[in-house]
Amino acid sequence: MDEICNIKSISCGTEAAKYFALQEGYRNLNHGSFGTYPTPVRSVLRNYQDRAEATPDAFIRYEYPERLDESRAAIAKYLHAPIESCVFVPNATTGINTVLRNLVYEPDDVIIYFATIYGACEKTVSYIVETTPAEARKVPCMYPVSDDDLCDAFEDAVRDLKVNDKNPKIAIFDTIVALPGVLAPFERLTQLCKQYDVLSCIDGAHGVGHIPLNLSELGPDFFVSNCHKWLHVPRGCAVFYVPERNQHLMRSTLPTSHGFVPTDGGAINNPLPPTSKSDFVNSFEFVGTLDNSPFLCVPDALEWRSKVTWNDKQGEEAIFAYNLHLARRSGQIVSGILGTEVLENKQGTLGDCNFANVRLPLSFKDLAESDPAKAARIGQWIVKTLVADYQTFIAMVFYDESWWMRLSSSVYLTEHDFEWAGQVLKDVCDRVRKEEWKENESATKL
Amino acid sequence: MRDEHFLFSGSYVPLNHGSYGAFPAAVRTYQRSLQDQTESRSDAFIRFKAPSLLLESRTAIAGLLQVPRQTVVFVPNATTGVNTVLRNLSWADGDVIVYLSTAYGACEKTILHICETTPATSVRIDVSFPIEDDDLVDLFRLRAQGIAAQQGKRVKVAMFDTVCTFPGVRLPWEALVEACKAEGVLSLIDGAHGIGHIDLFDLGQVDPDFFTSNCYKWLFTPRPCAIFYVPTRHHHLIRTTYPTSHGFKPSQERQIPTAASSDSDYLGELFKWAATVDMSPYLSTLEALRFRSNVCGGEAAIENYCFDLAQQGGKRMAQLLETEVMDNRNAKLSQCCFAMVRLPLRFASDTVSTTDRVMDRRSEATRGGIEYNQQLLPPERGPEFVKTIMDKLRDEHDTWIPMKFYSGAIWFRISAQVYLEMADLEWAAGVLSKLCKELPGSASGS
Repeated sequence: MDEICNIKSISCGTEAAKYFALQEGYRNLNHGSFGTYPTPVRSVLRNYQDRAEATPDAFIRYEYPERLDESRAAIAKYLHAPIESCVFVPNATTGINTVLRNLVYEPDDVIIYFATIYGACEKTVSYIVETTPAEARKVPCMYPVSDDDLCDAFEDAVRDLKVNDKNPKIAIFDTIVALPGVLAPFERLTQLCKQYDVLSCIDGAHGVGHIPLNLSELGPDFFVSNCHKWLHVPRGCAVFYVPERNQHLMRSTLPTSHGFVPTDGGAINNPLPPTSKSDFVNSFEFVGTLDNSPFLCVPDALEWRSKVTWNDKQGEEAIFAYNLHLARRSGQIVSGILGTEVLENKQGTLGDCNFANVRLPLSFKDLAESDPAKAARIGQWIVKTLVADYQTFIAMVFYDESWWMRLSSSVYLTEHDFEWAGQVLKDVCDRVRKEEWKENESATKL
Repeated sequence: MRDEHFLFSGSYVPLNHGSYGAFPAAVRTYQRSLQDQTESRSDAFIRFKAPSLLLESRTAIAGLLQVPRQTVVFVPNATTGVNTVLRNLSWADGDVIVYLSTAYGACEKTILHICETTPATSVRIDVSFPIEDDDLVDLFRLRAQGIAAQQGKRVKVAMFDTVCTFPGVRLPWEALVEACKAEGVLSLIDGAHGIGHIDLFDLGQVDPDFFTSNCYKWLFTPRPCAIFYVPTRHHHLIRTTYPTSHGFKPSQERQIPTAASSDSDYLGELFKWAATVDMSPYLSTLEALRFRSNVCGGEAAIENYCFDLAQQGGKRMAQLLETEVMDNRNAKLSQCCFAMVRLPLRFASDTVSTTDRVMDRRSEATRGGIEYNQQLLPPERGPEFVKTIMDKLRDEHDTWIPMKFYSGAIWFRISAQVYLEMADLEWAAGVLSKLCKELPGSASGS
């Protein structure tokens, strides 16, 4: 089972499930948060780690950079981007922080973002606004908004800022929003940014391996995506794409490390071997001592994925098609059992991804007395109970006065898993109505 | 010890523990079981089990340092710790950062980047080793006072190592912290080589303003893992992690932490989650400490063994090479796990170099011994000789010893560890002796 090259084919569903180290009896219905990776990739990861321990200096100083470049070449090809523009960082949050902290802000500079921005990214913007002349402009959006309305709201915000003599410097937006889990019209937003001369910073945390991406065609100013979410690469690994025209803006990695070139070019102790790579690429090769073995696993993860099949499709095509299909089915199945609905706009664009957001049949008014704090407690109880009593986890978001469960499809799941999930959620809702959430914390057999 | 407990390849002679550290098989097994638990039920483990394990790990480290748990958190590495401090502080015109020329390269680059992007300026104090402890402290105080005497200038922060990277010597960091207090300067201690290397039981008493130390270097944890210590009085200065993540509280939301609130864990809550990373190295601290206690006999036993081997081993290597160990008159520099020894290569020099000052203290018996130097070597070739020797160590002898052309001679750094014995150092001396003789330009070379 271990050698990827020896695998002939892996069909989605129960056969693929055998390749993962999921605990017997535990249903991972939340692939979207932390991802996971197949055991053959784990072997590759551990092999790199073993080599680092066998001959630390020889591996870390000399072998790692070569393997890293092979991995960069693989991810660059996958994303249809030049290798010179692609480096790795541990996660998308680091990538976003790297961009926002490196930019130099003048008074009247504005950072634009949507209300659905990932929490840690919003906090980064808050911190920047507190400590630099930059201001922030949050574009409201409430799902199930249409793509047109979303783009219009963005364009309105940009024009409004300009009319008021503000400079919309950079816009942050997702490829796929985290919570609720919906596809965003990121291509159109990128074009709008170009049109209005706003830097586009795409938080594609849910991106690579989830939806097809062609960065050369898309042309963003900055793009980051977690490989450990949907590309079957171990945690933490994200690709950080900065086209060459913008690399001079990224003065320092986060933290600053040996690759930083001071403006006066002074000679400072650099323990690493000399290099002929660009300053940008060289900077990101070593950013403080980490275990970057996950970065090295991209080629093997891609090779494993190339063996996956579904119906008459193979590889990436199979994975995309299966996940999409299963996500849509999962929404239908669970909302059918619960008698509710899937979060979707009239054009049906939100669900074009591996998520389905299903509303729970619980009344905010009746059960939580319209109190957001109580709603939060109910939500907390629900997710804890799923783990403790049902051996599963589903991401939950309290949105627009309802509790929504974000179902994640994955190659190791089938429709049976979601039939089961529907019944479980029905049961959990009954228990909420019986006010079990008010009692002391349920015994967590974690 | 080495073959039974550690993971090095059979032929590799690990003489450079100081760069990347190493950890025993027991810790690797423990870490991998944590990683397996993570993959088997990711949400359940990451959201509900890891936080309590993290608290346990912090408690264990706090015990080792004899400081309150609320003052200690984990970060990936010391470079991140240093960046976290320097980037959280606000810098005004006239603020000066002072540091020594032996500062770790990435930390110096961090300071330079700060000076590029904020009003802060920096002053680098050039220090040449060996130097007496008192002289170093006096030098710092003199320079600090000199800066403070300038109109509109104040020394805001001074950064020092506990044990320098190169040369590998112990600094009188406790006395420097005291000097900082006397001069009204914040002390930032880069204790990269600290925990598990030197005795830090007095950390609370010495009371630096900020302290960071790599656990993966000398505490036998996997990479990456470091601790970041901030006494409660400064918690209000640390607004954000790097990168900014969920723990950040925007100014309108936050409550200023007060020392009076003994059950507040401000730092802990802020650093609990700093973007998605593999936390297993932090959580492996417990097993590392167990190993050090049960198998190695405890911290004091380890320190005694390593200091002894470094000091006796250094002397023995110097004897075999007919050179000398780098130390000051009070033999304080060598109070650590490193031995700094000179290669038997004499370089031409007009000025009195370190070598001459050190050699003045050599005994008559060894003066003028078998230095392979019928002619003096040109100092411009020093770095080239370093590269030649280091490449051969790696390619022909399956080991790695950091060395540099420093103050007119080539000095190398040996890291003593529990898995090494005198015979290993004697072997290394033999190899180095041979490599020196083979150098082009030396006595027997062409």
